[in-house]
Amino acid sequence: MENPPVMLFRDVVKVYPLPAGDVIALDGVSFQVDRGEFISVMGPSGSGKSTLLNLMGCLDTPTTGDIFISGTRIGDMSDTELTSLRRDRIGFIFQYFNLFPLLNIIENVTFPMMLKTGRGVDPERGKEVLRAVQLDDKLFTHTPTELSGGQQQRVAVARALINNPDILLCDEPTGNLDSKTGDGIMDLMSELNRKGTTIIMVTHDAHIAEYSRRTIRIADGRIVS
Amino acid sequence: MIFWEIAKRNVRIHLLRSFLAMLGIVIGVVAISTMGILGNSMVLSVSDSLRTVGDSVIVTPHAGGGGMGFGSGTTSFTISEQEFQQIKRVSAPNVAIPVLRTSERMKLGVGSEEIVALVYGLDPDDVPLMLNLVEGDYSRGNSGCLVGATFAKDNNVRVGSRISLGKDGEKGTLRVTGIIEERGMAFDVSTDSAVVATRDWFDGTYNRDDYDQVVVKVKNLDEIADVKTAIEKQLNRRETIVDVMDTRKTMETIFEAFGQITTFVSAIGGISMIVAGVSILNIMMMSVTERIKEIGIMRSIGAQRREVMSMFLYEAAILGILGAIIGGVMSFVGGYAISSLMLQTTKYFFVPSSLIQIVYGMAFGIVVCLICGIYPAWRAANLNPIDALRHE
Ligand SMILES: Nc1ncnc2c1ncn2[C@@H]1O[C@H](COP(=O)(O)OP(=O)(O)OP(=O)(O)O)[C@@H](O)[C@H]1O
Ligand SMILES: [Mg+2]
Repeated sequence: MENPPVMLFRDVVKVYPLPAGDVIALDGVSFQVDRGEFISVMGPSGSGKSTLLNLMGCLDTPTTGDIFISGTRIGDMSDTELTSLRRDRIGFIFQYFNLFPLLNIIENVTFPMMLKTGRGVDPERGKEVLRAVQLDDKLFTHTPTELSGGQQQRVAVARALINNPDILLCDEPTGNLDSKTGDGIMDLMSELNRKGTTIIMVTHDAHIAEYSRRTIRIADGRIVS
Repeated sequence: MIFWEIAKRNVRIHLLRSFLAMLGIVIGVVAISTMGILGNSMVLSVSDSLRTVGDSVIVTPHAGGGGMGFGSGTTSFTISEQEFQQIKRVSAPNVAIPVLRTSERMKLGVGSEEIVALVYGLDPDDVPLMLNLVEGDYSRGNSGCLVGATFAKDNNVRVGSRISLGKDGEKGTLRVTGIIEERGMAFDVSTDSAVVATRDWFDGTYNRDDYDQVVVKVKNLDEIADVKTAIEKQLNRRETIVDVMDTRKTMETIFEAFGQITTFVSAIGGISMIVAGVSILNIMMMSVTERIKEIGIMRSIGAQRREVMSMFLYEAAILGILGAIIGGVMSFVGGYAISSLMLQTTKYFFVPSSLIQIVYGMAFGIVVCLICGIYPAWRAANLNPIDALRHE
């Protein structure tokens, strides 16, 4: 492939085997994400959105079907390889910010870079990214709990960006913010997307979905549009 | 590295909990180290007081009968000249030293009080083989004698002092020519509180032609058991005439007994360490459980299993190392205190073989902590990232 899509799903099925019976969370999903896209994933609760995002994020592997990340098939990669892939190519943003309470803001942001390099990282690198997400310099050495939700989410975005990932995956990134702060975060995302970051975002909120340029709708584990 | 930093901070924010878990390790280290120090000091002090005797085979008349002699003095059983010659022959080329012994009343100067002390009769040629002097010279003549250090101190005797022996001095007078170095408890001759005269004087004074004991000094320590066997074979062929003691073997037996006591007491310390290990396991499990979500985040943004594992092992190591250091310091103080209180001396404490006990105790504490940290760390590392992330 000359220029492979950032992400390619081909007939992906995900079954959770449970004692009460198998749960088919994804039932034959195929789609493609190209470089620079901004996609929102919508659907009712339990439809398989988070399952889809986990597969995109290499946190899990499909039961059947194939997933390619920038041309690499993840189906038979080891845990170590998948972890390295997440670290180097994927940024995660969660609904509950999920910063590390024991680390200060700069340490939180540079954490993925420390994982990648295996040693300490110049704090200036963290500061650069934090300034790019418009976080006040005063807050750099605070701990996450001293920040507001919107500020924490900005830090989370900075953390997701530090290793220059191919893809940014967000599971309800504004679900825990008021609409004004949420709009602030979405403006930031749009800005990042304009600069070339590929973004896939799960959301319930039609207003938030308007920031994206394509919407994948999902119901009962199938893409409906 | 960042995981070391996180482990450090986690210990710090749960200071009380960490300290309580550490306390167990501290107690375990102190128990093992101080018991080890005590045991080692006891072995050293015993071997010190039984010093210079590990190279002898000691032949005494069998206490149950046989070898009946007709000498005077306190012993009723003796070794005859003929038996001595046999011992000498089978022990050659090692030196066989005949020893004569009795207890005698004596006075140390006119008007002083009469005391009773042991008197040995030894060949002047043999004396330097067994006894070292701190003062004076070995006596060659039959009117000279040596005295033990304790004897000299207690009775205010110096080189040149005269000792009058027997009731009203009827056994004659001896002049002190030298003071014998303190020997402590000994298997061969206990001279600290005794008078050592020449064998000729002893024979003449007490009319003796037999011996109370024979000491064989063995040059090559590997032969010591062979010498013992040879003497037994020669003399106890038909009936048991003599008892033969191999001092090295006896010392080994004593040390073995001490070693067993030390091992036993240290084992109790070891059990306390295992109890401490369980509490470490407990708080490490707690630490993992309350951070499942954090582990999930770390794994999802790219932390490898082994990195998560290392974070928890660091935490266990911090607890172990801190506990071991505190325990080590306390063991040092405690060992010093025990030595000076129970043994009245710290000379057996400030030796490598005692101090290494603290190192053993500390190392054991750290190892226990690490072992007890392995399972929780493994659990943390093998959590499913998705489940961990969903955990609230
Ligand atoms: N780890 C799991 N083990 C078992 N079943 C699971 C697991 N994760 C998801 N499921 C099931 O798979 C289906 C899809 O779940 P998923 O979390 O993807 O839904 P969702 O669209 O994200 O819902 P929501 O909007 O409520 O977050 C559900 O029926 C859910 O019960
Ligand atoms: Mg979901």
